Amino acid sequence: MIHSVIIFNTSGIPRLIKFYTPINQSAQAIVTKIYSLISIRSSGSCNFLEAPELDELLGPKYDIEKLRVVYRSYATLHFVFVVDSSESELGILDLIQVFVEALDRAFENVCELDLVFHFDEVHHILAEIIQGGLVLETNLDEIDSAVHQTASARKQSFAAANPLALGVGGVGPRSAGLQTPLGWLTGKLTGVGTR
Amino acid sequence: MWERTLQDLIRGLRANKKDEAKFIAQAVDEIRQEIKNKDMELKAGAVLKLTYLEMLGYDMSWASFHVVEVMSSPKYHLKTVGYLAATQSFGPDTDVLMLTTNLLKKDLSSSPNDIAISLNGLSHTVSPDLARDLSHDIVTMLNHSKPHIRKRAVIAVYKMLVKYPEATPIALTRLKEKLDDQDPGVVAATINVLCELVRREPREYLSLAPQLFRLMTTSSNNWMLIKLIKLFGFLSPHEPRLVKKLQPPITELISTTSAISLLYECLCVTKLAAFLQDPDQNLKYIAFLALVKIAPTHRNLVAQYQDMILSSVGDHDLSIRMRALDLLSAMVTRDNLQSIVQQLLSYLVRPDSSPFPTAAQSLSLNITSPLSDGTGLVLASTHVSSYRLILIQRLLTICSYDTYDNVVDFQWYLSVLLDLTYIASVKVGDQIRDQLVDIVARVRGVKRWAVELMTRLLRDDTFLTNSREEGSCAEVLWAAAWICGENSSDAQSREIAEPQKLLPHLLQPSVSLLTSETIVAYLQAAVKLFGAWSMELSQNWESRKIQDVREVVDTLIFRLKDFTSHSEIEVQERAANALQLFTFVRADLASFHPEDLATRLPADGSSQAPAYPKSLLLISPLFSTYELNSVNIAAQDSISAPESLDLDTWIVPPPKHFSMDTVAVTDGNEKGERHLTKRKIKNKGKGKGKERSTNVVTVKLRDSQTDPMTSEEPETERIEREKVANCSYLKQQRLARMELRRHDPYYIPDRPYSAPFTNEVDTIPVVRLDDLPPLSQVAETQFPSLLRNSGTLIPSEPFVVDRNGEMPEGAIPPASLAPPPAASTTRITLTTPQALSSFPAYVVDEGVPRTVTPEPIKVKHAKKKGAKSKRTVAD
Repeated sequence: MIHSVIIFNTSGIPRLIKFYTPINQSAQAIVTKIYSLISIRSSGSCNFLEAPELDELLGPKYDIEKLRVVYRSYATLHFVFVVDSSESELGILDLIQVFVEALDRAFENVCELDLVFHFDEVHHILAEIIQGGLVLETNLDEIDSAVHQTASARKQSFAAANPLALGVGGVGPRSAGLQTPLGWLTGKLTGVGTR
Repeated sequence: MWERTLQDLIRGLRANKKDEAKFIAQAVDEIRQEIKNKDMELKAGAVLKLTYLEMLGYDMSWASFHVVEVMSSPKYHLKTVGYLAATQSFGPDTDVLMLTTNLLKKDLSSSPNDIAISLNGLSHTVSPDLARDLSHDIVTMLNHSKPHIRKRAVIAVYKMLVKYPEATPIALTRLKEKLDDQDPGVVAATINVLCELVRREPREYLSLAPQLFRLMTTSSNNWMLIKLIKLFGFLSPHEPRLVKKLQPPITELISTTSAISLLYECLCVTKLAAFLQDPDQNLKYIAFLALVKIAPTHRNLVAQYQDMILSSVGDHDLSIRMRALDLLSAMVTRDNLQSIVQQLLSYLVRPDSSPFPTAAQSLSLNITSPLSDGTGLVLASTHVSSYRLILIQRLLTICSYDTYDNVVDFQWYLSVLLDLTYIASVKVGDQIRDQLVDIVARVRGVKRWAVELMTRLLRDDTFLTNSREEGSCAEVLWAAAWICGENSSDAQSREIAEPQKLLPHLLQPSVSLLTSETIVAYLQAAVKLFGAWSMELSQNWESRKIQDVREVVDTLIFRLKDFTSHSEIEVQERAANALQLFTFVRADLASFHPEDLATRLPADGSSQAPAYPKSLLLISPLFSTYELNSVNIAAQDSISAPESLDLDTWIVPPPKHFSMDTVAVTDGNEKGERHLTKRKIKNKGKGKGKERSTNVVTVKLRDSQTDPMTSEEPETERIEREKVANCSYLKQQRLARMELRRHDPYYIPDRPYSAPFTNEVDTIPVVRLDDLPPLSQVAETQFPSLLRNSGTLIPSEPFVVDRNGEMPEGAIPPASLAPPPAASTTRITLTTPQALSSFPAYVVDEGVPRTVTPEPIKVKHAKKKGAKSKRTVAD
């Protein structure tokens, strides 16, 4: 299964941390360590992280079997998956690609700032791909429609609760209504952007 | 009122980069206010902000109750916030989890959206209790009309089964039905779940094979195919027929993945080799992974690619280097070990400085130079210290695998170890040390060579001066000193070691740079070496040699004096011991006048008085009475406790002022007393084994030895007491006792025994138990050590490794070898700190029937000789 999904940028600042199994040390310590190991790797290296320090880091936690760290870098972001032996290494690489494409569809040309300001939305998208450490869906269209479906459900629920919010908001992504300049402006003015 | 939204918080964080901690503290204060607000919107906003801060490392466990409140909101957009916060912050021991049972039950019977998020949330936070209470509801969801829900339910069922296996019978049949679901997503999710389940318990799921097989031949979903092949990989070891059946479809699919079935592997090796050369690093990595799996069963197939694999040890990518190392250790055999190790060594040698190159090394350097020339960066990257450490450790384990099964030439291996000592520059000294000692104890044929190498190391003053540097492997010096000292009585080793030349190196002032354990080994080795040397002198005595001996003894005494004031008590004691011995020798030498003898001898007309100073024979018998040997792991267990051994009576009643501690002490009593009993008898044996003159010396020694001790103890005790002045009386007493124990040479601390041979317990070299020369015989002969050195060594013979070690004669092997015997022999406590002063009380008790317990006596005695220095390392 997949034990954790981590996104951090090239300076090591976490953008998403998700652990599917309990950990007994601070998640931040793990992120820092993985970051320090990944950041020194050259671009020609393979996408599987192996280092003596890593076994120590993950060792006491999962002593039953060795975990592998698979990562992929996009522009300023590193996507890191920690998986065990029941996942195929190359398969996980493809899964990262699927995740990023799903993000891209939801945010339209996704960039780091989208992840910063919509970290909850990123979590919702991830939840359509992986549930409890197991792969839920790999078909992009399926993922995308599910994401849209839940986003609009949140939007409706928000609109019902805040009739004055001019249809803006929900805890949704930009696609929920912020694309048009007018919509953006109303969002600003009402100050209820995404609450 | 304008509350900060999550967006505002993030913007604020970005604007206040300099003062982030303060900003966040302020934000958390606001959140604490907002989260208590009745307004659900506000509360949810606060929870969401908190979830964000949690990612940055701030605690949010205090808010878990509020999270549950938000989860229970009927509004979907708030509910999602609650569930998100729950999945991020709830752990198995979050106490509010039990409050969520009804909430989850309700959500599971609500709208599809609610069901979806509750199934998702449940997959994260499920506890055994939740799984039990909700199992029915979750299983029901498997038949939901929406495929999206069914998908989620399939995974939630798996999570539930992990926590609550009792539900397996009901859930499994329903789960199997899902393999025939109309929606491909549901089927894929089911396969994912089955893959996890099968991995845990393959036999249970063999009946699924036909269904899975049909899926494999019909499906075109790559994801599912990968998982299916993994699945069959888990299943096929338990059902041989599967392999045959799988062959045709897998041959078709062969490019998709690296599965495990044997047949497939055979087919695949050439393909994998192509991967190895592929410029794509990912493929290379995968190829290594697969080859590691193949190597144990098909060594020959992998061996063809040895060169390719070896060159990958120097790859610029750490991940690939680690994999290559794994593969190398899997493919080592007797034949290729040497070449592999030499290659690995050549990667370790820094290009700029190779201070100690062997011929083979420089050769291998030449071989690999075309590679290293073009890729200077590659070599630099092998010097990252953590990788070096792994590489060297791997090298050591490769060679010592299965008690050195793959090592054919131990001379070569010892040289490798020595080379490693010089080039390691990481902290592996202790492992090299352990292997050196282990090999010398196990492989007789290599002793001479070992002494030669170790002498070289001991004479290397630069190595000694650099010993304080990090990664200098100074621990190896301990092994060097021990090996040289222990084998000094061996005639051929002695020629190589040339004790009189080595002695100055062992006692030079810069030795004090080393750790106290090593200094102790040095001192002990010096005494042994002198003993062996003087013994040899006495056999070919010429009176002109007296001057040499006097000089050597004088320097020894001069040097030893420095060590008697060393800060470590163990060093002090050994130095004082040795000093007294040598003082005696010097006195004897001073009173020896060769001219007198020369004139007197003819008058006597007999050889009553030897022509050499008697004291030359003083030291050697102290060390060389028994030969060192490795002992079987079960040896100690096979010795039954003698019936006459009474562990309940005091040998020395405890002094009254310790009565408060009796409870604490009793634990140690048993062992301590057993130890005392043994020593009692042992002293007897020792006394007999020596000549009368040595008895005089031991008495003398004992007096002088206790003098510095007794004058020292009150001093340290007082300091110790001042430190704990305000502690209770009891504590003070305990400290005082511990302090005394620390100074007590016969007290072995009760700390966990960090054996130097952690890798293989049965490699602990202990003394030979049987075929001791009868004590009377030892007394008769003047040169007991010559008796056992009669055999000559022929190094060209194949080396014999003593794998099992010895068992005491007539021992019945115990039923289980599981409990390591080391603990029982080494964890010995002494009942009272008065042991030293009450030493005379331990005189031989004639009442104890000696014959009852022959083996334990010998063990203890031997321990004293050989293992004494070892013990200090373990401490």
